[in-house]
Amino acid sequence: MDSHTYNIYKPLRATLDEVIEESPLIRTFVLIPDEEFVFKTGQFIELSVDGVGEAPFTPSSSPLVTDRLEVTVMNTGYVTGIMHELKPGAVMGIRGPYGRGYPVSEFEGKEVLILGGGCGLAPIRSLLFTLEHMKDDLEKVILCYGSKTPADCIYKPLFSRLNSIDKFEAYRTVDITDDDWDGPVGVATILLDEVRVTVDNSVAVVCGPPIMMKFGTIRLLEMGYRDEQIYLSMEKNMSCGLGKCGHCMMGEFFVCKDGPVFTYNEIKHNPEVWT
Amino acid sequence: MYYTGISKEDWHCSLEKLLNTYDIFVPVKDEFSLDYEPFRPDQAEKIAYNTPKPATPLKNFFLPVRENVTSARAGSKPVIIIGVPNCDIEALLLLDEIYLDEVFADPWYRSRRNNTILVASDCYTVNDHCHCLSYGVKPWSMAHADMAILAEGDHLFLRVMSEKGKEIAEQLSGKYDVDDAAAISYEEKRHSETEELLTALNAGLPDYITTGEIIQKAGDEVWKKYAAKCVSCGACTTICPTCSCFLLIDKPDFEKVKQMDACQYPGFERVAGGEDALFELHRRFRNRYMCKYVWRPRKFNSLACTGCGRCIEACIGKINKNELFMELT
Repeated sequence: MDSHTYNIYKPLRATLDEVIEESPLIRTFVLIPDEEFVFKTGQFIELSVDGVGEAPFTPSSSPLVTDRLEVTVMNTGYVTGIMHELKPGAVMGIRGPYGRGYPVSEFEGKEVLILGGGCGLAPIRSLLFTLEHMKDDLEKVILCYGSKTPADCIYKPLFSRLNSIDKFEAYRTVDITDDDWDGPVGVATILLDEVRVTVDNSVAVVCGPPIMMKFGTIRLLEMGYRDEQIYLSMEKNMSCGLGKCGHCMMGEFFVCKDGPVFTYNEIKHNPEVWT
Repeated sequence: MYYTGISKEDWHCSLEKLLNTYDIFVPVKDEFSLDYEPFRPDQAEKIAYNTPKPATPLKNFFLPVRENVTSARAGSKPVIIIGVPNCDIEALLLLDEIYLDEVFADPWYRSRRNNTILVASDCYTVNDHCHCLSYGVKPWSMAHADMAILAEGDHLFLRVMSEKGKEIAEQLSGKYDVDDAAAISYEEKRHSETEELLTALNAGLPDYITTGEIIQKAGDEVWKKYAAKCVSCGACTTICPTCSCFLLIDKPDFEKVKQMDACQYPGFERVAGGEDALFELHRRFRNRYMCKYVWRPRKFNSLACTGCGRCIEACIGKINKNELFMELT
């Protein structure tokens, strides 16, 4: 695009095609953008409700699909609350894609251990689609995912599908059990005790609520992962997405532009990293 | 770079003619303050040359408090801003790094930057809280502006520093050639006088890098002590020539309004889930200094504080950051 006519603040329009209820609080919005939309897995977009506001989300769909975009949204604030009321046919706005996604080419020849929690599975699902596409170049992919309750688990069919793919393993846990649940109970990190992984030839990806990011990283370091082998998807108040507005500052980094994916090595010097 | 001379009377007449082509702002002093105002030929005698410093930071010409950033708008006349102190010109370099970055250039900022001619002013005096020199910024501009003014009685030396400056200089009627050596000798005398004033005023103040080193080590107690008088009004960020954080506000038909924001306001970093790393006031207070002296220097080449001292003058809690830094030294 001509850099002199391109307006960095102007959204691309996208029509809401379908709304999928993933859990009581989480819905996936299937969008048809007015123009082909290209992104790299782990990059994020600013999704806006006309005249209301916009919020940052990492698409949960495959980056190989460019005419449809899926965004999984937890109803947790003002804008997301209004998004949850939208019906198919609504026109939304997309800015982006922004930031630095997962450096998947660096994962080649390795085992990929993924630790996810809650709505953090959304970016991970996009990553899993990418990893599935390049599975011939990978040793193994292990997903460890925790949700608050069995009902809060999103993309439930994903787990059986992943377990049917060669080289893929998927495990689930819940913090609070119910009558139908017969799997592990506890925070997502307990699943790491059971997985068989060759740490030296592995990378770890962590995406979830801040508390899980912190304790997940600590556990991975205990397992022998080096700082540069751990990829964290940081959550901040990304507002402009352009490395300008300042809302997502984490020390010297604009999370929106320098991240949202960082290695632990890149950000560990910063005392603000877990706050 | 070269020098030219002009009488104040001819300069003002020339500016009057330039009004046909340009919007011109000049530093005007009255009994209340010194600030930029649109040039009015009948009030030319109120222009304060070589006097620090306009109340409004230069950034306001390029980053309006509030603007629609999605709608096309009519073009405006090119702008000449006269009397810009070097602290503000140096501050603009950081804004250029942020707003003209290779990947995401802000089209509105870029258009204003291209459309503006900066006429700097060498400071002959200092204000109570001027401390540019402590951070390696000279109280005069030898680059990054298009022209600079040095008044001597009823005459002006003009230091022409860019092609844009040359274009303006060539349109001035009544200008006369000056011996560069004489102009340089005059400016050097002025410069050394101002440097002496600044050095005396800021004895013991740590330099920019040292400030970053000492505040990184500062414990919560010192931030809490100074933040006790802070009311999160955001005057310091509003008046700061390098603070440029903003908020995007959505309007119908997917229009976006960009409004200046401040890390001093509650909720600046709050995420939808409710986490807010800057919830406590002393954390917000610390954030501004960490940003200026630690984080921005790691990421950018330009200074994030150029020592203009406006934040000290503007603070309604009378918080003096330099007292804080001296206490930590």
